[in-house]
Amino acid sequence: MESREKELSALPQTSDPPRGRLSVLLGRLISPYLHGEARGPVPEVLGRLIYPFLRGEAPKPQQATGFYTDTTVCIGCKACEVACKQWNQLPADGFIWSGNSYDNTNELSATTWRHVKFIEQFSDESSSNLSPLDAINNESPLNRWLMMSDNCKHCVASPCHQACPTGAIVQNEFENIYIQADICNGCSSCIAACPFGVITRSEMGGHSHKCTLCYDRQRDGLEPACAKACPTQSIHFGPIEELREQARKRVEQLHERGVPQAYLYGDVPSETYSEMHSFYLLVDRPSVYGLPDAPFNPWLHMMGDYARSVAGGLAAIAVLLVVVFLLKP
Amino acid sequence: MHANSSPQHASTKPPLPGQGGQIGYENTTVTKVPGWHGIIAWDALLNGMAMGLFLAAAVSELAAPTVFMRVAKVAYPVALVLLLVDLVLLVLDLGDPSRFHHMLRVFKPTSPMSLGTWCLTIFSLPLTAAAALSLLAEWGWDFEWARLLAVVVGLLPGFGAAAYKGVLLSTNAQPGWKDARWLGGYLTNSALLMGCAELLVLSALMGQTQAIAILRTAFIVLLVLNVIPLGLLFANLSPIHAQLYTRGQQWRVGALIAAGALIPLGLMLLNGSLLSISVALIFLLADSWLVRSVYVKIPHTSPLGVRSSE
Repeated sequence: MESREKELSALPQTSDPPRGRLSVLLGRLISPYLHGEARGPVPEVLGRLIYPFLRGEAPKPQQATGFYTDTTVCIGCKACEVACKQWNQLPADGFIWSGNSYDNTNELSATTWRHVKFIEQFSDESSSNLSPLDAINNESPLNRWLMMSDNCKHCVASPCHQACPTGAIVQNEFENIYIQADICNGCSSCIAACPFGVITRSEMGGHSHKCTLCYDRQRDGLEPACAKACPTQSIHFGPIEELREQARKRVEQLHERGVPQAYLYGDVPSETYSEMHSFYLLVDRPSVYGLPDAPFNPWLHMMGDYARSVAGGLAAIAVLLVVVFLLKP
Repeated sequence: MHANSSPQHASTKPPLPGQGGQIGYENTTVTKVPGWHGIIAWDALLNGMAMGLFLAAAVSELAAPTVFMRVAKVAYPVALVLLLVDLVLLVLDLGDPSRFHHMLRVFKPTSPMSLGTWCLTIFSLPLTAAAALSLLAEWGWDFEWARLLAVVVGLLPGFGAAAYKGVLLSTNAQPGWKDARWLGGYLTNSALLMGCAELLVLSALMGQTQAIAILRTAFIVLLVLNVIPLGLLFANLSPIHAQLYTRGQQWRVGALIAAGALIPLGLMLLNGSLLSISVALIFLLADSWLVRSVYVKIPHTSPLGVRSSE
């Protein structure tokens, strides 16, 4: 893992991007606000008004990175959840018994960016007839644990990115989907758009949050905290093409070893959804893991919806015009 | 922290799921519900009322100035007030209302909310000008050409501001909403219907008999026309409604919506007095609010199966 980090740190790094000419001027105007020295309401209000309009130059594109999560080796230790919380300084969610196996975070949220899911697939028959040790050894499709560390899918054509009206959600230089917390105004469009239920709005600031794919760590040549902490290498991080290759080989390997149901979820685009930069190796239907069986990008309907919307309005205007022209003196 | 999470002592015994209890993630709703509640139903109503009134007044005035000029001059300030109330609701609905102006950082045609924000912002300028010049004309400062120019300039962004709302609430991944292909068609059509009714009431209040005669007929035809996109919308939503509501509940809401359309129709066919026109408008607005409210509630409502197991 250390050598992997050295390899990653050798990738070209980006520093804070220089600002454009107009942004420099605007930045000077609100300099006290930017440096936390604004005194009085006028510089504060001016700063708040102008700040979101400051522009920097876009960082140079880097090699696309992502996650490949092999659920067959996940042991449900939740080290990824803890590492994510720790690195991103996310508050605890309290301790609740969900009644759903060992899952006590329940879902991804503004404060839980990694969520380990537990699926118990034990038939009544097998559990009553077998001794506990036999039950563990007899890992048939009806007598097994499935565990999966879930997170944002970092979709290539991501509905949240398309929906965001403020430009807070961007595809960064590593082709990961990133929410700029200082820009988000909590409109919730991204929440409505995400077919995976990844994003929620924080009750603390009213802004949307989700996995950043450890953008800050990546910029410093480090791998994301969850991948670093994973003791079984269920979570792989790296250049996306390499991950896809690695994942395909693993699927072939599993097929050869008698797990014919192994397949990849999100590694390639479907007719209704783009590929994802966080994809999974699964051994059961996606819905078993709480994933949509056939994710659908809602934007495929947008032009048709606009056409019907305009048609509805134009029809009413046409009626009004006809009546006015027919009945006017 | 999750809203419903409460810390428990570590020694508390975990509750075991009972018969038929949910284990795993199959059959759970994957998507998260955005915090769009009743305020959005009111926003959708006020948006329709404001844009519809402006569009109905502008189209009527441009088509028959001698008949509609006087009532249109009153309609523009009323539309402006409705728009301002709507904008306040939109700002209040944000997670961080102090960042409302962040909406204008970018223009993204892929985002219906971005397109809508820009349409509303641009539209507010000619609408304000038209309203102000209409009021000034009442006080003797008549800049007729400038007022008409503002009205013409406001037509396109006004139409856009009416048309985006349905697309915003249907282009997403929410259960039910994602299937509402005719929501935009219904809402835009309904905006013009409400606008026509509002203009009719204003005409009645001002005693504009010619305007009343024309708008009454237009209102009746528009009311019938509006049944088409409403029917198509409910056809889109019937699978989700079947999951969320019992047959009895569906019939009750359906009967209320039907009454909200039939009562104004009956009143308009019977006579065109100020009282019947006003009552018709009230029923129409209540009906329009009910449709929007039922729609906005969909992702917030648990399926019947889940409710019965609880």
